[in-house]
Amino acid sequence: MILSEVIGLRVLDAHGAAVGRVVDARFRLEGGGTPSTARLVGLIISPRSASSFLGYERRSSGGPALVARLLRWMHRGSFLVSWESIAGFYDDRVELRAGYERLDASLDSTEG
Amino acid sequence: MTKSPTVRAGRLIDANLHLLDRQVLDPENMPVATVDDVELDDVLWNTPLPPGTPAPVVTALLSGPVLATRIFGGRPPESRWHRIAWTHVVEIGTAIRIGINANELDVSWVERWLRDHVIRRIPGGSHDPE
Repeated sequence: MILSEVIGLRVLDAHGAAVGRVVDARFRLEGGGTPSTARLVGLIISPRSASSFLGYERRSSGGPALVARLLRWMHRGSFLVSWESIAGFYDDRVELRAGYERLDASLDSTEG
Repeated sequence: MTKSPTVRAGRLIDANLHLLDRQVLDPENMPVATVDDVELDDVLWNTPLPPGTPAPVVTALLSGPVLATRIFGGRPPESRWHRIAWTHVVEIGTAIRIGINANELDVSWVERWLRDHVIRRIPGGSHDPE
C-alpha cells in the first residue's frame, strides 16, 4: 500500500455517514532495530478540510501565530482513529467500525 | 554507530509532518532524494478488514517524478518509484539520514550516469577543482 492512496480519501462511519477526510497517518516506532519499525497507529481525520495540517494543531508551539490560528480553525474537530477502528479501505473511501473512538490528534504529550 | 533518539522505539511519527517532502541525506551529507511517498505492507483493499488484522509497517520511502502528478492529479506508475528501504534510515530530523552511500542506491542512477558518461568527458571533469 502506498500512503498517498489513503490520504485524502473520504471517511464514512459504520452507518455510511461521512465523518471527514484522511489528512495524515500516524506511526509508532517499535522494537530494538535501527531504525525501529514504524507501525501504523491510525489515521488522522479532519471533518472540514482535506488540505495538509502543517502540524499546527498537533503541537502547542508554532508560528506565525496568525497562520497557526487559521490552520487550527480550519482543522477544528480533527481526530485520530486507531487502526483497530478501521473496517476497510476502498478506492473512494475508508470505512470505520461501529463504535469507533475519536482520539486526541495532538502529538505533544507523546512525542519523543 | 549509536542509535539516534529520533528513531528509537516509542516515538510517534506523522507521515505528512515528519516524512513527506523531507530531504534524504547519506552519511557524507550528500543529498540523495526527497521523500515523495511512503510504502507500507500490503493491506486488504476493497474488502472488509477482519478484526485483529495486524497494522501495516513502513517498508520504504519512495521518491519519484511527482511534479506532474501533483499538478494534474494521479500517481506515478509503480515502475517509476525509487525505493529507499526503511531499514536504511538512521535519523528522522529536519532531514532524514540514511546509513548507506548514495552511490549504492538506484535513486541516484541518473546522477551517476551523467557523471560517468558526460561530466567525465569534459576536459578537467575527472578531478577535483584546483
